[in-house]
Amino acid sequence: MKKKLAGAVLFAALVGPAVARPADLPEGKWWKRPRVVAEINLTPDQVRVIEDIFARARPKLIDGKGELEKRQGDLQDAIESNADRRDIAAKVEAVENARAELQKTRIVMVLDMKQALKPEQWERLVRMHQEFRRERRERFGRFPERRRDDRPR
Amino acid sequence: MELENRRSPDDHLTDDALFALALPAAGVPEVLPAHLLECPQCSRALADWKNAVRDLADADEDVLEKRTGEEWSAVEDSTLSAIRREGTPGRGRVRTLRWALPVAASLLVFALLVSGRPDSARVSEPSDDTAGLSAQDKADDALLRDVDRLASGDESSGGWGALAPDPGIPDPPQGEGRS
Repeated sequence: MKKKLAGAVLFAALVGPAVARPADLPEGKWWKRPRVVAEINLTPDQVRVIEDIFARARPKLIDGKGELEKRQGDLQDAIESNADRRDIAAKVEAVENARAELQKTRIVMVLDMKQALKPEQWERLVRMHQEFRRERRERFGRFPERRRDDRPR
Repeated sequence: MELENRRSPDDHLTDDALFALALPAAGVPEVLPAHLLECPQCSRALADWKNAVRDLADADEDVLEKRTGEEWSAVEDSTLSAIRREGTPGRGRVRTLRWALPVAASLLVFALLVSGRPDSARVSEPSDDTAGLSAQDKADDALLRDVDRLASGDESSGGWGALAPDPGIPDPPQGEGRS
């Protein structure tokens, strides 16, 4: 059981981030931002197609998000109540299954959106977000990396 | 070694001193008072000040990036007017510092943002512009951001960091809490 728990944690730590981002896209509803639309020359038809893809995925995204948050709550409760390792391992697995399901829905949606774009539009979309992130890092790189526990108490 | 600025443990650093340490002038390393070595309270306060400075920079970033040249001129004029209004001689250094500190912090953030960059090269996150979105679009936008965060495991709370200790870090002995 120890091995199973350690394996799940290791999977979450190593594999999770690697598959987390199918592409480095701008966050949120990027196809509704005038600046993005202008930058990649998104046509009104393409906006409609992408909006339809999102609308079809939305119910699954909402359900998946709710399911993952519920499983996370269950796991947190189990850890805080010092549940036995078998119970915690099962809940870890449930969390990661819910996360994988949500990730799958998201990736399929993003891939469908990619199909609606021309290759050069897709590349430009990815590149503009990467440029933003790089410039942001350069600008604020002088500040030390913030840590979660390095917050005012 | 006898260090400068030695204070008694009860003689804590003032907010002005902590601010100066948290936000030293560019290129001028501050000499840390010896008092910091022996006073956890002041060390913690200094850490809080430094975090507050970072938070200020983060929080103001988007607003500052969207300001036009005219808006910056207006901010500068209003700042100078405030300085002239408050600058009546004879009111003392403490009162001066009350307005000087926020002004200095704002100017520093501004300098950090524009240093070495032409105005036309200002970059804001293409997806951060929520102006013009309908209520439904804003709700969808928030949903997508939440999904992105949750699916990637990058959660400020409820993620692995909140649920379990980092792998490799041994559990503290029974009956001994974490500090």
